[in-house]
Amino acid sequence: MIEFKNVSKVYNGGVKAIDNVNFKVENGEFVILIGPSGCGKTTLLRMVNQLEDISEGDIILNNTSVKQSNKIEMRRKIGYVIQSNGLFPNMTIEKNVMIVPDLLGWDRKKQQDRFNYLMELIGLHPDEYRKRYPHELSGGQQQRVGVARALAADPPVMLMDEPFGALDPIIRTKLQEEFLQIQKEVNKTILFVSHDIDEAVKMGDKVALLRGGKMMQYDYPSEILHHPANDFVSEFVGQDRVLKSTSLYSVKDLVDEVSLDSYHEADSAQPVNEDTSLRIVISKLLNQEADQLVVEDKQGNKKGKLTLELVEKFLHKEVKETPNR
Amino acid sequence: MQTIIDFFNYFSNNYSQILEYTVEHVQLVGLAIIISILIGVPLGIYLTTNEDLAGTVLQISSIMMTIPSIALFGIMIPILSTIGQGIGFLPALIALVLYSQLPIIRNTYTGINNVDPNIRDAAKGLGMTTMQRLLKVEIPNAMPLIMAGIRTATVLNIGIGAIAAYIGAGGLGSLINQGISRSNNTMVLVGAVVVSILAILVDYLLKYIEKRFTPKGIKN
Repeated sequence: MIEFKNVSKVYNGGVKAIDNVNFKVENGEFVILIGPSGCGKTTLLRMVNQLEDISEGDIILNNTSVKQSNKIEMRRKIGYVIQSNGLFPNMTIEKNVMIVPDLLGWDRKKQQDRFNYLMELIGLHPDEYRKRYPHELSGGQQQRVGVARALAADPPVMLMDEPFGALDPIIRTKLQEEFLQIQKEVNKTILFVSHDIDEAVKMGDKVALLRGGKMMQYDYPSEILHHPANDFVSEFVGQDRVLKSTSLYSVKDLVDEVSLDSYHEADSAQPVNEDTSLRIVISKLLNQEADQLVVEDKQGNKKGKLTLELVEKFLHKEVKETPNR
Repeated sequence: MQTIIDFFNYFSNNYSQILEYTVEHVQLVGLAIIISILIGVPLGIYLTTNEDLAGTVLQISSIMMTIPSIALFGIMIPILSTIGQGIGFLPALIALVLYSQLPIIRNTYTGINNVDPNIRDAAKGLGMTTMQRLLKVEIPNAMPLIMAGIRTATVLNIGIGAIAAYIGAGGLGSLINQGISRSNNTMVLVGAVVVSILAILVDYLLKYIEKRFTPKGIKN
């Protein structure tokens, strides 16, 4: 658990980069820190592993104040991933990934097993990459290795500073999805800095929106989108916030809330499966070729017809009834 | 044509003498470089942690480089005479160590400072101690620049070492020195050519060492 207690950062001259921030990240929770440039999100993140000093207040990490912890030992228990991957060019991929286990004095066998496991986890072949150097890898591969390195000693907490920010959109989307799969398996407590609201909504269990070092809103993505706390939040998430929120729901969520229209074999309709996100459903429905969709479950049984009116009905319900996801 | 014949005659007739001078020369420069590395590399590394001092030290070592070597030898005679070492090996050694400091300190300082800040940040964030960062990350990545500084200093010293013959430090400069006072052009030429060949060979040797010391991942 990470708990921020009245945390402030004051620079010489009295400029407050972080202003009295309070929030809690529960165990296994994936929290996104987001805000415009200069809002202090990276500073806040770097205060957790003490790369930045805390001027006032404290951060409690697993029941211990980070101010009182031994910095070196504490950092070895926190996974750290940065935007430019920060791999050491002079070391092979194996040496890079095994840095922290090596510092902790793991034996050779244990390190090798862990390396093999982590490389499989991030989808790179262990033996193929073991002896290669970072500059021989593509940007996406380097960033994957950066994630593996952060996971190496199995730390309970991960700090990630725009890890996918420097990648092209296609690779970024791919890595985001891969990382969500990895998180399902490793279940870490994650604090993740982003400047991209779509990324935040897609990845985070909760979103913390900052401006000028102050916390604007800390809540579930659906709440941030449906019930912005103030004008700034509403402006930041964008006027298309309802559209954005549709990526939070799948067809299954809709089926649970509203009943589908009945389906006749004679109707011409495109099939969608239950895991499809509503965002894709809307996009398909707006496409001229299909004005209705037929929902199929995993066995291929047709459950009913889905139209724009139904999506609209569902969203009205969701927005009004303040769902807690 | 006659010059070339004279050159080779002189060379074969005085083979062992030339070899002796070369050994003296290599000893002088070699020892000077080893001492210079032992002083310059740690100092260069230390300066990266103390920006104020760095400016001053680099300025002083730059000024050092502008003093003509013959003048420096002259200045050291009265000073070192107080311990009975006014001329000979010691003043030559000191002068060479002083001249080596600028390239070695500056390149070490620049090399370490130029390590990508993101890499340094990652090293810190992963929980490396200052010493571990230096040994595992910063020095290996600065190695090409540090070695380039050592190479420059060595080649420079081979040239300046020839002038040290004027204060009785021996070495290949003795050939040039004696050649001039005897108006023997062949002798001067042999001295000059051997010094040049020595410098080129040592430069190649150091280039090879540099390759061996540079981690694979940062070679192009």
